[in-house]
Amino acid sequence: MAKQQPILKADDLSKRYEDGVLAVDHLNLNIYPGEVYCLLGANGAGKTTTINLFLNFIPPTTGTCYVNGIDVTKDPLEAKKYVSFVSENVMLYGNFTARQNLDFFAKLGGKTNLAKNDYYQVMRRVSLQEKAFEQRVKNFSKGMRQKLGISIAVIKDAPGILLDEPTSGLDPKAAEEFLEILNELKKEGKAILMSTHDIFRAKEIGDRVGIMKEGRLVMERTREELQYEDLVKIYIDYMKSEPLTLS
Amino acid sequence: MLKTIIKKEVLETIFSYRFPLFAIICLLLIPLGMTVNQASYAKRVRDYSEQVRLADEAAAAIKIQDVMAGTVAVKGFRRPAPLSVFTQGFESTLPRYYEFTQDGFKPGESASDDESILSVQGKVDFVFLVQMVISLIALLFASDMVSGEKEAGTLRAMLANSLPRDTLLAGKIGGGYLALWVPFLVAFLLGTVVLMLAALPLFGGDATARVLIIFLATSLFILTYFTIGIAVSTSAAKARTSLVAIFIVWVAFQLIIPKLGDMVARLVYPVRTETAVSLQKSLLVRSLDIETAKELGRQFDLIFGAAPKGAVDDEKSPERKKWDPIRDDIQLRTRERKGQQLAAIDETYIQERRRQTNLAVNLSLVSPSAAFARFVADVCGTGELERAKYIEAVRSHQKALDNELFSKVKRTLMMHEGGGMSMSFSAMPVDASKLPKFSIVPASIAETFKANVRSLLSLLFWLIAPFAYAYVRFIKYDVR
Repeated sequence: MAKQQPILKADDLSKRYEDGVLAVDHLNLNIYPGEVYCLLGANGAGKTTTINLFLNFIPPTTGTCYVNGIDVTKDPLEAKKYVSFVSENVMLYGNFTARQNLDFFAKLGGKTNLAKNDYYQVMRRVSLQEKAFEQRVKNFSKGMRQKLGISIAVIKDAPGILLDEPTSGLDPKAAEEFLEILNELKKEGKAILMSTHDIFRAKEIGDRVGIMKEGRLVMERTREELQYEDLVKIYIDYMKSEPLTLS
Repeated sequence: MLKTIIKKEVLETIFSYRFPLFAIICLLLIPLGMTVNQASYAKRVRDYSEQVRLADEAAAAIKIQDVMAGTVAVKGFRRPAPLSVFTQGFESTLPRYYEFTQDGFKPGESASDDESILSVQGKVDFVFLVQMVISLIALLFASDMVSGEKEAGTLRAMLANSLPRDTLLAGKIGGGYLALWVPFLVAFLLGTVVLMLAALPLFGGDATARVLIIFLATSLFILTYFTIGIAVSTSAAKARTSLVAIFIVWVAFQLIIPKLGDMVARLVYPVRTETAVSLQKSLLVRSLDIETAKELGRQFDLIFGAAPKGAVDDEKSPERKKWDPIRDDIQLRTRERKGQQLAAIDETYIQERRRQTNLAVNLSLVSPSAAFARFVADVCGTGELERAKYIEAVRSHQKALDNELFSKVKRTLMMHEGGGMSMSFSAMPVDASKLPKFSIVPASIAETFKANVRSLLSLLFWLIAPFAYAYVRFIKYDVR
């Protein structure tokens, strides 16, 4: 079988901020359709910076990010058509209802001419309570916001999904529901890059798991490899090891 | 995409707590301010009509003897400007009338004498509300439009999509401005209806065009302040930071720069008061008259000192034939000197004022608020242009009265060396009913625009520069 083209690809990607901090250091990453890649690492390891680089929020110092084969730096608007983003704290417009938020972001994602029922259908799919559809989101719990956030990604129907610590702060039930939705999206062929601190869920959902330390991808294991290894031990060993650089 | 952003901004603004507050302020204060000023205008017009009637009656009763006695003082009144309902400008500080005498003109009292004690706190007219209240609200509305979304993280969520940043910025400005402009439009229309119901002449002549210009200029002014707010908001990472910056900008533009400009101009180029100039002119006239009287007395004594009795009254006597051309020559020279010296005083005063005004205007125009106020005051006929037109009309009326009234009597005052004084008169008939009426030719719309090029440029600058700044900042912004 011919190898598929990666949806999300980082090619020798580096980012050094103005203050001299090297946030991402020569990162190479390929995430294929129907694959969930979990990026583990401590705070400041470079996980969020990597996601920011994929979204062209910041320019890379060297290297290139590709989304669906499109160079993100050269053609960011075209590249962003093929990727959805869900952040740790899904930020929505508090005075808008769930449907109004969904409608606004769907239109930004290029989905015009959707009817009320289309929005309802997506919100039902992510298990958002029916009564919340027409409620203002300012009173939503974090779990509800997260569900609405993933429904924005679902409605955009992009082949790539970037998740920045999406289960952080969620209760176990909400986190489980969230992973179920991710599994469904994976089955639909989406390429998913998820940064997380949650080692257990990373092992559960990830087809591959990478550990970042000081901007470098220091370890990568497949789901099969992890069946015979203790991810928690590997992670802690890497975190305890000597700093990689002095800068 | 632009439509989506505009719609979202409009909805977000409408749903915010600030919007109903702003709508109430607009819908309540603008029509109310116009109503109060309309009532004040109507009162001033009634006073004006009555005073003009009395002045006309007094002018019609002028007799040549009064002119000979030098007791004639004709008053020329300035008609209140109907559009002063939008801005008072100089309306209450300009003299209500000027008094014209054979020695020149001097200003009468101003309309401010009738004002209530509250006037010291600033008059609540349309321009005041726009300058002080709506400008602040426009800044507040814009203050968190970018920084608030940066802080909340919604900007990241938006920019994660295929959304050009310039479209996002344009949508934010367009949507936010629309949410501000519509309540203003409704309030303005409501105020205009109130004025029409109060029979204010808003139609006829160029009044309609002027009202439209006021509306457009105000819309531009609100957009200017909104864009300044957006520029501040794009520079700040947090809504609170932009709020503080916005207050500083507002205070500088509203309170410090316009007043500082005026203060600096007064310090650099001090100017005498108009009353002091009138006094200087009166003293000059008196001094020249005395000098002339002495010269005439000396010449008279030389010619008639040894003449037989009756030579003065005999037009054919050789002394009279010698005296008449000498007297006429002295009086002509005096008139010429008087004219030249009075014109020089006027010219010096005008130049002093012009220099001071130019400096004050140029400095104050750094503030878009001052530019807006100056322009609208001129459009309403209560600004600097009206003041210039008023004084121009006063000078022209003085000349006309000199020709038609005061020059009809020739006084020959003589001061003799021995200390005695004598006076002779020659008078021509005066038709008091045909005396020229005082009127001010109002500045045309074209003149108003010409005189306000700097103000309009200032407004345009403050519209374009913040937008350009916001654009550059926003395009280069690293989303983190």
